[in-house]
This record gives sequence, C-alpha cells and structure tokens, in this order.
Amino acid sequence: MSLIAAVSGVHDSGGYRRPPNLVAWLVLMPLLAWLFLFVIVPTVMLVVVSFAERDALGRIVYDFTLQNYIRAFDWLWLKVFLTSIWYALLTTLICMFVGYPVAYTIGRAPLHWRGLLLMLVMVPFWTSFLIRTYAWITILSKDGLLNSLLVSAGIFSHSAEILYTPFAIVLGLVYNFLPFMILPIYTSVEKLDNALIEAAYDLGAGPVRAFSQVIIPLTRPGIAAGAMLVFVPSIAMFAITTLMGGGTNPTIGEVIFKQFTSGRNQPFGAALGTILLLIFVLALWITRKYREED
Amino acid sequence: MFFLRLKFMTIDGVSHGASNSPRLGRRVTAARLQAGLFGFWTALVFAFLYIPIILLVVFSFNSSRLNIRWEGFSTRWYGELFGNKVLIDAFQNSLSVAIATTILATLLGTVGAWMLYRYKFPYQRALGLLIFIPMVMPEVLMGVSLLVLFVQFLHLPLGFLTLTIAHTTFCFPFVLVGVQARLQGLDPFLEEAAMDLGATPLQAFWKVIVPYLMPAIVSGALMSFTLSLDEYIVSVFTTGAQSQTLPLKVYGMAKVGLNPQLNALSSIFILVTFLFAFGSYFFSRNKKT
Amino acid sequence: MKKTITLVLSALAAILVGCGKAPEAKKLSVFCWSEYIPQSVIDQFTKETGIQVSVENYASNEEMLAKLTAGGGEYDIIQPSEYVVEALIAQKLLHPIDKTKIPNLSNIAPQFLKMSFDPDNSFSVPFMAGTVGIVVNTDLIKDDIKSFSDVFKPDNKGKIVVLDDAREITAWALLSQGLAINDMSDANLDKVKPVLANWIPLVKVFDSDSPKTALLNGDVAMGVVWGGEGAILLQSDPKFRWIIPAEGTHLFIDSLAMPKTAKNVENAEAFMNFILRPDVSKKISDAFPYTNPNLAARKLLSEEQLNNKASFPSDADIAKMQVFRDIGTQGSKIDEIVTSVKAQ
Repeated sequence: MSLIAAVSGVHDSGGYRRPPNLVAWLVLMPLLAWLFLFVIVPTVMLVVVSFAERDALGRIVYDFTLQNYIRAFDWLWLKVFLTSIWYALLTTLICMFVGYPVAYTIGRAPLHWRGLLLMLVMVPFWTSFLIRTYAWITILSKDGLLNSLLVSAGIFSHSAEILYTPFAIVLGLVYNFLPFMILPIYTSVEKLDNALIEAAYDLGAGPVRAFSQVIIPLTRPGIAAGAMLVFVPSIAMFAITTLMGGGTNPTIGEVIFKQFTSGRNQPFGAALGTILLLIFVLALWITRKYREED
Repeated sequence: MFFLRLKFMTIDGVSHGASNSPRLGRRVTAARLQAGLFGFWTALVFAFLYIPIILLVVFSFNSSRLNIRWEGFSTRWYGELFGNKVLIDAFQNSLSVAIATTILATLLGTVGAWMLYRYKFPYQRALGLLIFIPMVMPEVLMGVSLLVLFVQFLHLPLGFLTLTIAHTTFCFPFVLVGVQARLQGLDPFLEEAAMDLGATPLQAFWKVIVPYLMPAIVSGALMSFTLSLDEYIVSVFTTGAQSQTLPLKVYGMAKVGLNPQLNALSSIFILVTFLFAFGSYFFSRNKKT
Repeated sequence: MKKTITLVLSALAAILVGCGKAPEAKKLSVFCWSEYIPQSVIDQFTKETGIQVSVENYASNEEMLAKLTAGGGEYDIIQPSEYVVEALIAQKLLHPIDKTKIPNLSNIAPQFLKMSFDPDNSFSVPFMAGTVGIVVNTDLIKDDIKSFSDVFKPDNKGKIVVLDDAREITAWALLSQGLAINDMSDANLDKVKPVLANWIPLVKVFDSDSPKTALLNGDVAMGVVWGGEGAILLQSDPKFRWIIPAEGTHLFIDSLAMPKTAKNVENAEAFMNFILRPDVSKKISDAFPYTNPNLAARKLLSEEQLNNKASFPSDADIAKMQVFRDIGTQGSKIDEIVTSVKAQ
C-alpha cells in the first residue's frame, strides 16, 4: 500500500458525499420505484408464500405454517447449499485468474482497439445457450473432438472421462461467466494512469511488485465487482450442472426449480429461496460492515 | 471549453513518454515480457471463448439433422431458415426486448450508481443490499412472483412490456455494480471543478462524469444485452404469445435434436456483429490517423 | 447525441403505445409444448379456416401448470399429459368439449380413449402418445437386457442415462417391486427408497430433454428414455435396440384440452377436430416420431415409420403399460427422496 500512497495520493472521497436535496430525491425516484415495485414487492410475496400451504394442484393456500422452514432445516438441503456455493466460489476464483490478464491487456491496448476487443469477448454469448453448451458436449464427450485429438496425439492411450464430471461443470461455468469478470476489471484497468505505473517502475519495482503493490490494489474495485457479478448469479445457475455434469449432483437452483415445477410445492421452494436470500444478505451485510470499520 | 481542459487534467493520462531512469533497459525488458505473456494468455482465452463457436458455425453447414456428428457439407439449413418465419420472428422479439432492456437497465444502473455515490441517502446500506436481490434470486422465483405481480396486482397484459420490465429487473444490477466500481477513486474535484467553471450539475454529469464512466456504461450495456438475449426461465412466466423470444422456441427443441437452423441463425448474427465491430474499428482508426 | 436519445426514446414510446388492439378477427390462442405441433400444420389451419393462431410454448407440464394457475395468459388450447388432465379436471379448471363438434375423434384407436384420467373424453382428446422404454447400444452391451432390474445392476455403473424425472424413476422402482405404478403412498415410498438408493448411484447422466445425446456420443451404453428419443436413436443407427421392460412401463398420452377460461371455444374445437384429421395427424408423425393414436393416420404412414418399435409398440406391449394418475402433493416428497439419494 505504501507504494500506491507514494505514487498516487488518492483522494479520500469520504467527506465529499452530500445530503440529498429535493432534486436528488427526484432523480433517484425511478430507481427507488423500480426497486420497490419489482424487487421489494416480489421478495415480500416470496416470504409470505414461504409461510403458506398449497393444494393438490400446487396452488397456494394462505394458511400460516412453519412447516416449510422446519422441513428446510435438514442436512440434505444444507449439503445442496454447500455444493452450490462451492461451485460458485471455484468458478469465481478461476474466472479471476483467467480473466485478469485478459482485462488488463484489453484495458492497456491502444484506445481504438479496446471497443473491438471488448465486443469480441461478448459476442460468443450472443448465440443460443443450448447450442453453445451442446457444442461443448460434442467437444468433451467420450467419442468427442478433444478425446480423439488427445488419443491420436498419443497423450492418452484411450478416451478419458471428461464430460459429466465436476471438471466439466467448472469448465462450463467458467466459460459462461468469464465475460462478467473481464468487463468490470477492464473498466478499472482502463482508468489506470500510465504515469502511475511508470512511477512504480521508476521507484524500482519489477513487474511482479508493480502488479502486487500498485496495479492490483488500484484495480481492486473492478476485481470486487467482477467477483460479485460472477459469484452471485452462479450460485443459483443450474442449467450447466445438469447438462454438463449429468445432473448427478443437485444444486440449490435446481432443487428450487423442481419444487416449483414437478414438486408442485411453491411454498417449500419459496422457503428455500428465502433462506438463500437471507444467507446472502447477511454475508454481504457483515462483509460491508467489517470493511467500513476497517 | 471547460470540460476539454478537465479531460486533459485527469481522464486518460495517455502519456507514452519514456522515462529517463538509469535502469531503464532492464525494466523495459521486464515490462515487455509481462505484456507479451499477458498478450499470449489473452490469445489463449479468446481461443477458448471461440472453440464452441467455431464448432457451431461448422455444424451450420452439416447435412445431418442431429447436431452431433459431421456427415457432409450442405447449405440446406440456411435455405430453410429464411422460410422459417417463427424462428425469425422469435429472434426479432429477442432483439427488441434485449435492446429495450439494455437502454432501461443502463439508464437505471448508471444514474442510480451516480446518485448513490454522490449523495448520502438515508438507509443507503440497505439500498445497496437490495440491488443484489435480483441477482441472487433464483430465476424461477423471480419469474413466478413477477407473473403474479403483473397479472393479479398490476393487471398488465403479458407481452413485450412485462417481459422488458422483468429483464430490466435482473439486468440493471449488473450495470450498477460495474459503474460503482468505476466510480471508486474518482477524483472528487472533477465535478466541482466543472461547476466552478460554470457548468450546472446536469451539465457536469453529462459532459464530465458520463464520459469518465463510459467504459463501465458500455460494459454494463453489453452485459445487459447478453443476459436478456439468453434468458429462458424468467421469460417463460412473464411473456405472452405476441412476444415469444428465441430461447422459448429453443428450449424443448432438444428432445427432437436442436435444429441446425439455429446454428445458421447464430452464424449469421455473429457474422453481422463482426462486420459491424470491425467496421467501426476501422472507422475509428481512420479517424485517429 | 441528444438527437439519438430523442430518437431512441420516441421509438421506445412507439413500441409501447403501438401494442394496441388489432381489428376483431377469428382468433385462437394455443399454449403448447415447443416442437410438438409443426408450424406447417398451424399455417394450414389458418389457411383453411381463417382463424389466426397465436402460439406460446413451454418445455414441461409443470411450467404450463405453474403459469396457468398463477392466472397468466388467456389460452384456448393447452396440451397437458394424462395425469395433468386428471388434476385439472379434479380442480374444475377445464372447459367441457362438445364431442359432436369433433367427429374425427372416431379415428382414435379405442385403447387410447376413455382412459382412467378422463373416462368419457369429456375434457380432452388424445394428441400423441408414447412410452418409456430401455434402449441399449448393442456394440457395447452384450447381455440380454429385458427389464429395469437388468439395467440397474452394479456391473452397469457409469453406463446408464435415465430421464431426470423423479416421478418416472420412482415409478420404475415401484414396478420392479411388483407395486402399483400410481400408488405413491408413504408406505410404498418407504419400500422403494432402498431400491432407489441402489439404482441412482449407478446412473451417469440424468437428462429429460435429450437423453439420446449421451447415447449417441458414446458416453453411456444404455438408457431408460422416452419412446420418441428411442425412435430417433433407432433411425440413426442399427446398433441401438429398443426394449419394453418386462415389469411393464409408463404409457403417456399428451392431450389437447381447453382451460375453463377459454374465450374461443368453437375455434378451439375446430382446431381439435383438425388435428385429428388423418392427413394432418400424419404430418405431425412425420415431424415427430411418437406413438400416433390415430388409426386412420397410421394407414398413411410408411412401413419404416410403422416398423420402428420405439414409435409403435405392439398392442400386446401396450396392454402391459399404465398411464400416470395424478399424485397430488406427493410430488414434492418424491423430488426430495431422489435429491437426497443423488446428494449422497
């Protein structure tokens, strides 16, 4: 940190934020209204439903019950939660290490290249998810392209099990979430001042020190944002774990989806969803509070 | 012009001038090595991103109906695609919802991030947490609760409007979080200096802050567009017959084999995007030199 | 820049306002499975009757049910499977059919009519049927597989794909124990729990959407899959063999029905009658290889189509099969049992 202080003298924006005036409230209104109508109201509905019962057809019957929560506190669902969080964590870490150099290279590229490179990161994902995923299945399957390549190159003596393993799940998750790591990091790298990096080098830092002590700390907001944008949505993502993992290891998104559909038990699904939201909000609240006190 | 001077002061200090330090040679080599390694890695990652896409394009010329094995060259799927009104309509619906979502989500996210950064609102930390709820909420919960909200409380007919609202709800947090990250460490005097030079807060925001935030805004817009284009579960519950998007036609197609017309459609779309992207690249390069 | 924004905003406003009402036309709103009714069939219906059809798709019965019960959409035709028809009738959510408007119902083979879930066909007409059976890659498996018990043997660990459907798997386990396919009482579930605990760890892939993929790619050697999937596999390679399990199996009947809230009942009945016409039904069979219950249409099919054992099991085999009845609230418990075995 001392190196940054030496070369940058970052301003503290702490005393800068003002109390809002009427205009500020008016400008914030659309966001507040949106949050109220389409985030708070559905969340409240979810919580209400989680205390309700359902009829034979799966329609909600508004009789108060704690049954859904009693059922939810079971080792089984905890295990499912942990599996989901574990995959999300692994995906986030790998995306970080794989994505950072890419984001850095794009952010440091000549100005007129950056837009093009950014587009190139995103364009593969403008194809249909299923086609992309089935393409991966074709590549990774036992008689697939990768195996025939490895066998004919003599690296493997016979086809390996790649598809329908945890490795395939992580590969699929990393593939689909990588852009959501690269883009936010890019926006942090892009604003790095060249003079700052040069100053770091001038003070005698090699590339390793320049990165560990100046560049990475300065791009930390982008890394943190990328980590959020990858970790949070990947917890409940289950299409990849079922398609590329063979569906043998249930995750929380899949369990909730099945309770809503084939289980015809929306209240129980809602209770699991409410617990997921609670765990998440608590974790975020604590980390933020801790950071502020730090 | 005041903002021109400001830009010069703080934004994008692109100064490629060499430094005069004595150990210059060794450090330049090390920096080059780092850039080279990163460049190589970036090329590898791009290859990784495009492997399935290459396969997808190759299979669009496959004569086999089943998207699994190569059986011979054919342009049949391209021909059939142009006669497939349902698929093309669905694709158009997907595009218009994605574009409307991108505009709304980018506006909400950018303005929201700026206001939350600039002012200290009461309950701000709770507000900051709320923004993550649509991101963590499993899609089926969001789809069903929005459906109930639209139909039973707001009495909105299901279609383009409800679908766009639903998509915007899970997209704008991506913009907001990205823009917030870019705002961290922003020179607080940037806006004040602009106002000292006679700009109104709106002008200062529009002429100074927005350009500064532009990379984050563009990233957020790209993410929103991508998320909206591919959403299935939320869409099932929040759209009507007039706005059937492409994923709704594609899911369930797997049971008879994904139609290679989809590969053809994706290939054409990628080609058009490439032409557009490279075109604007050459345009901007020629403008610069 | 400002101009662009004004332009975009006005375009947006135009889109929002432009969704006004079209002039009153003959309309029909269909909520059906994706890839089940070919577009050419719908276009032909519009051409012949002048009725404009709007189509909305879903990918599972339960998605349809969740949307319907939440009050979403106004549909004239839905396409539920047999046990969902039963549940919808029980909840009085279907509109009765005027059978005099559907003379083509006489084309349907008697074994698909008057079934337990809708004894008089007062609410539903059969669209397509199908079965669940075993498919074996004979290049890789030399054993003579005859039953569910032959499939789920420890030797076959890691070689099996099955439908990702808790109710199906549980039904097979019930059959293997000689229990009734539809009796999902707690007592019966307790009996099959150990069976499921033995079976599920043997499975490599759970896939309801496209189990054929894992078989075609060589990742697994056998599977318990839908008849339609089996039919595609048999067509694609003679190494695949189709087996009706000795214990019996599930016969599904996907039907056409009208929700209680249907607005265009006459048009919906005209559509049902149209679908049951032999030439139209043949078109559907050409596109999707399920079991066509329409006898008049079967006469128009090719030898090759009729000889596909996965599409057209023999009458003796069909007699051994059972349809699913509605199991009400037990679905949630079955999902939990299967999830708990998977998560171990």
